[in-house]
Amino acid sequence: MDYIIEYLPLIFDGFILTVGVSLFGIFAGLALGIILALGDSYGGRIISTLIRVYVEFFRGSPIIIQLFVFLYVIPTLLNFRIDPLIVGFSIFALNSAAYQKGYIKGAMDAVFEDQMTAGLSIGMSKPQIIFYVILPQALRIVIPAWSNEYCSLTKSTPALLVIGVRDLTAAATTIIGQTYRVLETYVFIAMIYLAWITVITKIMDIVYEKKRIPGIEISA
Amino acid sequence: MLGEAEERKSWGYKEMTDIVMECKNLWKTYEQHLIAVKDVSLQIGEGDIKLIFGPSGSGKSTFLRCLAMLTPPDRGDILLRGECLTKAGTDLNKARTRIGFVFQQIYLFRHLTALGNVELALRRVLKLPKEEAEKRALEALEEVKMQEWSHHYPSQLSGGQQQRVGIARALARNPDIILLDEPTSALDPELTGEVIDTLRDLAKKGTTMLIVSHEMPFAREVADEMIFFDEGSIIETGPPEQFFTNPKSERAKKFMARLIKRTKRE
Repeated sequence: MDYIIEYLPLIFDGFILTVGVSLFGIFAGLALGIILALGDSYGGRIISTLIRVYVEFFRGSPIIIQLFVFLYVIPTLLNFRIDPLIVGFSIFALNSAAYQKGYIKGAMDAVFEDQMTAGLSIGMSKPQIIFYVILPQALRIVIPAWSNEYCSLTKSTPALLVIGVRDLTAAATTIIGQTYRVLETYVFIAMIYLAWITVITKIMDIVYEKKRIPGIEISA
Repeated sequence: MLGEAEERKSWGYKEMTDIVMECKNLWKTYEQHLIAVKDVSLQIGEGDIKLIFGPSGSGKSTFLRCLAMLTPPDRGDILLRGECLTKAGTDLNKARTRIGFVFQQIYLFRHLTALGNVELALRRVLKLPKEEAEKRALEALEEVKMQEWSHHYPSQLSGGQQQRVGIARALARNPDIILLDEPTSALDPELTGEVIDTLRDLAKKGTTMLIVSHEMPFAREVADEMIFFDEGSIIETGPPEQFFTNPKSERAKKFMARLIKRTKRE
């Protein structure tokens, strides 16, 4: 395994990219996912339809094709240039938002009915109820699904190769191309993924436990 | 205070300014054909305790929700201290801060402690500073004897305790009136007592209340007037004694007979 040491800088760059894109994707996707869930629930028919089209597009098409379209097709048609890194980060956020919108909306619908009535009965406005009552409950319910979403994002970053952005798996491919050591390289890279995902999953478990309120939990 | 109110009642006399809540010719129809509330008019005076009872599905809950404008009525007027709530452009959120509502299914905010539940409206609607909101919330919890449980979440409380928090939540804003929709009927029989005791305390303090309930001994003890509701309309009103001894309408007579028989069995 000595040869690996030589490639550590390359592996490190790939790791940073994988972590960067997936973390950005999950957080930006959360913010956008909340907005989309609210828009779908309260935005009226037109906004709700647009949001559904958006969600269907990102959930229904391969990420590789999305990256390709946003880096080459759209800029060519509209005649502008865009940095592949920006496209990579954005597509991951937009993609994750489409999934997270579903989780958040589902959780909001689950807590909505009686909590909205209760909120109105004490004189709160609808936006206040959404902000102080519905979302705090819905987001707690979503945490376990969020953990899953992050794992899946982390392992989707190899797709970035199609736009020339190299992640951790791409680093492995490069190493194998130069050394022909397939098995040990893949095993080593897989261990890095495993370690990282284990750390993140543990952190999410701790967050879930810390934020958990008796009576608001999903039976996972 | 109480003496004065008592005296007024004995004269059967009520000034116009005493009226806290009033509704005139209220109608509510569900899906065009199912009439839930049919031409109901009612007045509730300061310190009044009125009790609505009647068969299930007779529109009692819908009527109460209409009064709180949680389910807006189709036709008719609702006046809160002379101010019309059914007029277009009324700030309903503001109006609802003056109406306390207690639900049959309790509906506590599940992510907040007992204190948080009571405090929320004080902080976010009345915009009281944190300390004052907390102080008033604790006072309200004390009124329902729940101050020791203030840091428990709803799921950690029994049904009766939850409902007492529900009552404290309705009380904390000092509303003009409290509407209670079958506050004990979702509870196990052994838990209804503590909620009834709480309501009895409120009654003693002169709280204006409109209660939907079938707790007959309680009704007989505290109600100034009982209202028999059937098929969306008020069939008969009168003092409790009238219903317990000699209801005027045939339907009320039958219903009372059934209720009393059931109460005896229990």
